[in-house]
Amino acid sequence: MNMLIRTLRFVGFTLVEYARSGRILVELLAGVIFFYIFLRRWTTLPSPEYFFSTTSLFALALTFYSTSAALGLGDRPQGYLLLVRRLGRGGYLLGFYLAAQVVIWAIYGLISIAMALYNPIQGLDVRGWLLGTLPLLLNTALLGALLTLLAPIVLPATGRLVVLALVAIAFSGGLIGGQTLAGLPGPVTAAINIARTIFSTPLLPAFTGFALSVSRDYSGIAFAIPLAQLFLTLGLLTMAVYIFARREIILSGG
Amino acid sequence: MYAIEIENLYKSYDSLPVLNGLNLRVRQGQVYGLLGPNGSGKSTLIHLLLGFLRPTRGTLRVFGQQDLEQVRGRIGYLPERLRYHLRYSGREYLRYLGQFSDLPGEQLSARVEQELGAVGLLSAADRQLATYSKGMLQRLGIAQALLSDPDILLIDEPTSGLDPAGQREMLELLAEVRGRNHTIFLTTHFLDEIELLCDTVGILFGGQLATEIDVQSLRAPGRSVLIKVAQLPPELAARLQQMAPAVRCTGREISLQPNTAALQAQVLRALLDADLSIIALEPQGRPLEDIYMRIVRGDSVELPAADPPPAMFAPPGRPDATTRVLEGAAPTSPGRPGTGDTLLRELLKQDQEPPQTSPTEHQEPL
Repeated sequence: MNMLIRTLRFVGFTLVEYARSGRILVELLAGVIFFYIFLRRWTTLPSPEYFFSTTSLFALALTFYSTSAALGLGDRPQGYLLLVRRLGRGGYLLGFYLAAQVVIWAIYGLISIAMALYNPIQGLDVRGWLLGTLPLLLNTALLGALLTLLAPIVLPATGRLVVLALVAIAFSGGLIGGQTLAGLPGPVTAAINIARTIFSTPLLPAFTGFALSVSRDYSGIAFAIPLAQLFLTLGLLTMAVYIFARREIILSGG
Repeated sequence: MYAIEIENLYKSYDSLPVLNGLNLRVRQGQVYGLLGPNGSGKSTLIHLLLGFLRPTRGTLRVFGQQDLEQVRGRIGYLPERLRYHLRYSGREYLRYLGQFSDLPGEQLSARVEQELGAVGLLSAADRQLATYSKGMLQRLGIAQALLSDPDILLIDEPTSGLDPAGQREMLELLAEVRGRNHTIFLTTHFLDEIELLCDTVGILFGGQLATEIDVQSLRAPGRSVLIKVAQLPPELAARLQQMAPAVRCTGREISLQPNTAALQAQVLRALLDADLSIIALEPQGRPLEDIYMRIVRGDSVELPAADPPPAMFAPPGRPDATTRVLEGAAPTSPGRPGTGDTLLRELLKQDQEPPQTSPTEHQEPL
């Protein structure tokens, strides 16, 4: 319980630091530009599918920036004064992750409010918005967790390369296929296909979450998608905290 | 129980060894100074004690705990290069740090005000840290380290990179902290800090503890002393030289080398009995510096006696700073060399009092 309270206090501390540093202006400006380009009132009214598909992509892009910026704050010598206290390594790392998520979710909330006020979406009520928003935000949490695992203060360079290689293999379906695979010996093709299947499986919740956000169709086993997103997020965060708790800490950024 | 116990500790960065079988113990309540050249592994050791780094081999315990997570919150830390989140005010920042140390609301407010007052920052408490001077930031560093009233303070090169005024201010603050009876483990490469602040000094060289010295013993009479008098009649000079081969008279100067407490007292008494004006009594050389330089050069080292007599005069160097410690250690200490006959009579009176240790223990002062 104390650990949770300390972590939430640290989230508050990081958000104040983030806001006072002016970094938050980047997210706000990006939100305004995104709204102006993609969501302002045009001649035709936006559909819910259009709203969720564009906002999902924007939220993921924002996750890249905000999570990286927040975790960058953790790689500064100032961190030593925090890490020496009862906050501990887990609270320290999760604090930055959660602070970034708060920023992303707040910007998404502002965009949604702006849509409701200035360009209401036809056929989208609060229930529909919640159903589309849940997998969308879980996807930002999932990507944020992956970026936390890949942060320099968590994984050393070699580890990051390994994880990125696995992600690359998982995504390789669209890049290596057809003619390229046909030219390779049978066993190599089979091995690549197996590796691709294995490593792309963990990415399924992200892809299906995106589809669920757009469709908002929770029939069948689709209700399991947010759960899969949640568990994958928790798994990645647990891995990140575990590694961070065991590695040597040499904070270097300034 | 020991506050710190280090046994056979090795630490390497890649294949570069930094600590090479270090053994060290710090008692609770002790002020321990670790002296060593730049790059000798002092900061690495502090980071090992804080759990930021992992030992390559060996054991390291803080308050008997090998799992340093268990003692988190009992340690105060003053880093070598203080960096802050500069967008907070001093009070705000300490309040946050106190919250991460689980200080409850009312107690937290009281502790923050108390520490801000102790380091003289109450009037600037609501200013943003970005507007603080370097000296103010140093003082805030001490306040944050003491905020949760830790059982042990780890201080890493506190005056490194400061100008002389900043160094002086920091040392004065640390001297005050010393009076608060925390266990303190301090690393430095400045001899003044050790002489002013520490009970015991360990010299780290080659990744090992080269030697460990009771700092009080360094405040004993100098290994070599020069006495200057207004005049020195030849017959008296001859008589003095007959006292011991260590006595050499040249002009109006009497050199005692090697010096002992007994010999020094004997010579001074003879001078006073002859009614001579003593102009100065100057210890030659600086014991800690001598030992340190010999270790760094790889020479053999002769350590001072374990239980030295009360301090008789301050070593040269920073007389004001040293005097402050000596005042606490021995009320009769004159503090500066060569302060006149009255003082010498007091010293001789002190010398006539029953010794607390056997004379043989005082035969090798520095």
